[in-house]
Amino acid sequence: MMKKKILVIEDNEDNRRIVRDLLTSAGYEVIEAVTAQEGVTAAETLGPELILMDIQLPDFDGYEATRRIKANPTLNPIPIIAVTSYALSGDDKKAFEAGCDAYVTKPFSPRELLAKIREYLE
Amino acid sequence: MQNTSAPAPTHKARTVSRVFSYTFIGIVALILIAFAAVGIAFNIILIEGELDKRLDNVMKLAQTRLPAPLKHLENDIVFSFVETIFLDESIVYTKILRKDQIIIEKKRPGFELKALETSTQASLFLGSKFIVRSSDLDFANSKIGKIRIVVSGESARKQVLWQIYGIVVLIVLITAAIWIFEARTGQLGQSVEEQKALVEISQVVSSNLNVEAVLSGIVQHAVQLSKADAGTIYEFDETEQVFVPRANYGVDTEFIEALRESAHGVGDDTVIGRAVIKRAPEQIPDLEYVADYPLPFVKEAGFRAMLAVPLLREDRLFGGLVLRRKEAGWFSNPVVKLLQTFATQSVVALHNAQLFREIEQKGREIEIANKHKSQFLANMSHELRTPLNAILGYTELILDNIYGDVPEKIQEVLERLGKNGRHLLGLINDVLDLSKIEAGQLTLSLNDYSIGEVVQTVITSVEALAAEKKLGLKVRVPPDLSIARGDEQRIAQVLLNLLGNAIKFTDEGEVRVEVTASDETFLVSVADTGPGLSEADQKIIFDEFQQADDSNTREKGGSGLGLSISKKIVEMHGGRIWVESNVGNGSTFRFTLPVRVERQRDE
Repeated sequence: MMKKKILVIEDNEDNRRIVRDLLTSAGYEVIEAVTAQEGVTAAETLGPELILMDIQLPDFDGYEATRRIKANPTLNPIPIIAVTSYALSGDDKKAFEAGCDAYVTKPFSPRELLAKIREYLE
Repeated sequence: MQNTSAPAPTHKARTVSRVFSYTFIGIVALILIAFAAVGIAFNIILIEGELDKRLDNVMKLAQTRLPAPLKHLENDIVFSFVETIFLDESIVYTKILRKDQIIIEKKRPGFELKALETSTQASLFLGSKFIVRSSDLDFANSKIGKIRIVVSGESARKQVLWQIYGIVVLIVLITAAIWIFEARTGQLGQSVEEQKALVEISQVVSSNLNVEAVLSGIVQHAVQLSKADAGTIYEFDETEQVFVPRANYGVDTEFIEALRESAHGVGDDTVIGRAVIKRAPEQIPDLEYVADYPLPFVKEAGFRAMLAVPLLREDRLFGGLVLRRKEAGWFSNPVVKLLQTFATQSVVALHNAQLFREIEQKGREIEIANKHKSQFLANMSHELRTPLNAILGYTELILDNIYGDVPEKIQEVLERLGKNGRHLLGLINDVLDLSKIEAGQLTLSLNDYSIGEVVQTVITSVEALAAEKKLGLKVRVPPDLSIARGDEQRIAQVLLNLLGNAIKFTDEGEVRVEVTASDETFLVSVADTGPGLSEADQKIIFDEFQQADDSNTREKGGSGLGLSISKKIVEMHGGRIWVESNVGNGSTFRFTLPVRVERQRDE
C-alpha cells in the first residue's frame, strides 16, 4: 500500500520536526516546505493528499497560499488544514474564507492534530 | 481675535451720558439766571417805588410843616426840618428858598453840587444816580417858597449789586454742586462698571480654558474702561524670547501681523520691553516726541499715547498688556491701577492655559507609553509561546512512544513536564489576552453557536480535574435554547476560567453549572462549595492581578488575570459578570450574555 503524502508548510523548524515525527510514525509520507512559495510549488508538483498550512510564513501568508492552491482546479479537492495562531482573533474565519477545510489552533496537541488529519484521510 | 471696527458700546454710552449731563447743568444754570434776573428787576422796581414813596412823604411833610415857618421867618424850624429829613441816608441834597432867597442848602459830602443842582432825573434807571423832586411851597394859596430834594440811588444800587453778587455766587455754587454730584455719580458708575467687568473676567478666567476667548475679553474690557483705542495682550515665548500677541482689540489684522513679525523681546526699547525691565507699568505720553520708536507702524496707525504693564507671577514673566490711545497724554493713576488688575487676571488665564497644555501633553505621552507597553506585552507573550509550543509538542511525542518505548518512571516525569508547560502556557495566554484587550486589539469573532455545546465542551475538559479532587460536577442546561450569536471561543474561555477556579478552590462538595434564558439574555451561573469570599475580596476580585488571598496564589497557582479577562470578554458581548458569596458558604459567579450579539461593545 502506498503511503499517503502530506505536505507540511511551516517555517519553524521545531514545529516541522514535531509534525514530521508524528506523521511519519503514524504511517504517512511527509513533504516539507519552509515558505509559502515553496509550498504552492510542492502542491502543484508533488501531489500531496492533504496540506497542513501555517498562517504566518516569511514570504506571503497562508491565506494567500491557500487561495492560490484552491484556484487550481486539479489541486482544489486537496483538503487544507490551517494552523492558526492563538494570538490573532478572527483567524478561523479568515481561514475558511480563504478556502481552508479545517483549522487547528496553535499550540496544538499532536494527538488532536492526528485525529483531525485522520478525519480527512480515512 | 478682535478687529478694528468692533463696537465699543459702553464707551459710547458713557460719552452720551456725559454730553447729557453737561447740557443738564447748562439748562439748570440758565433757568437760575433767568429767575435771578426777574427777581432783580422786581426788586429794583420795589426799591424805586419805595424811594418814590419816601420822597413823596417828605414832600408832603415839607408842604405841611414849612410854609408857616417860612412866612413867619422862623428859620430855626426850617433848619431842624432839614436836619430831620437828612437822617434818611438816601437823601443827599436839600435846598429851601423863600421867594428867591436860599434859606438853606444842604448837601451830603462826597456828592458834586453841580450835578445835584442840575439833575432833573425823575427815575433811578439807566445810569442815573439821582431822583430829583422840586415843589413850590404855598401859604394861604400864595407861593411863599420852593423846596428841592435829591435822593441818591447809590445805596439802592449797592443793594441791587449785592443781590446780583449773591445770586451769581448762588448760581455758581449750585452749578458746581450739580457738577460734582454728576462727576461722583459718573465715577461711581465707572467703578461699578469696572467691578462688573472684573467679576465677569474672573468668572471667565476660572471657567474657561479657551485662553484666546479669555484674553480677548480682558483686552476689550481694559481698552473700554480706560478709554483707550486699542490694546494687546502678549504672551512671552520663553524658547524664542519674544513677545507673541495673543489677544488684540481695536487693531486690524495687518497691525497684529506687524506686531508678530517684529518679534520684540525683553529690554527692547518698546514700551512693553521697558516695562518688563522695570517690572512696573511704563508709559509713553506722546509718540510724536519719541524718535525711532522700534515699532514704527504704531505711530503710523495714529497712536500717540501708550501704557504697558508686565504680566508677572512669582518673578516669572508671562507677557505684557499694552494699551494704545490716539490722544496724547499720560494715562491717569486709576487707569494704571485698573490695568494692573487686568494684568493679574491675564496672568491667571495664561498660567491656566499653560498648565492645561502640559496636562494634555502628559496625557498623550502616557497614552502612547501605555500603548507601547501593551504592544510589548503582546509581542513578548507571542514570542514566549513559540519555544513553549515545541517543548509541549516534543513532550507529547515522547509520551506517545514515537521515539521508542519510555520507561514508566520517565513517563511520570514527562507528564509533570507537560502539566507545568501547559500551566505556563495558560499564564502567558492570560497576559497576552489582557494586553491585547488593553491595546484595543482584541476583536470578537461573532458566529452562531449553541450555548449547550459550549457548556458541554468546557465540562469535558474539566471533568478529569473534578474527578481528581472527588468533586461532584452538575450541569443544568435547558434543551430548547435558541441558537445564539457571539464569540464561542471567548465565551468558552470565560466558562472555563470560572469552572477552573471553582474546582481549583473547592476541596470538597460540588460545582454546579446552570444556564437559564429570559428576555433574549442568558444567565450562566457557576456555583461551588468552596471557602467563599469576603465582601472586600468580592469588590477587587475582577481587578487585574488580584486574588482573594495571596497565599492562595502560591498554593493554587494562576496569574490573577483570568477573572479580569472574563469580565472584559463578557462586557464586550454587552453582558455583566458578578459574584455572590459568603465566607464559609461557597461562591456563585454569574454572568449575563445577550443571546444575539451583533456588534462588539467597546468602552
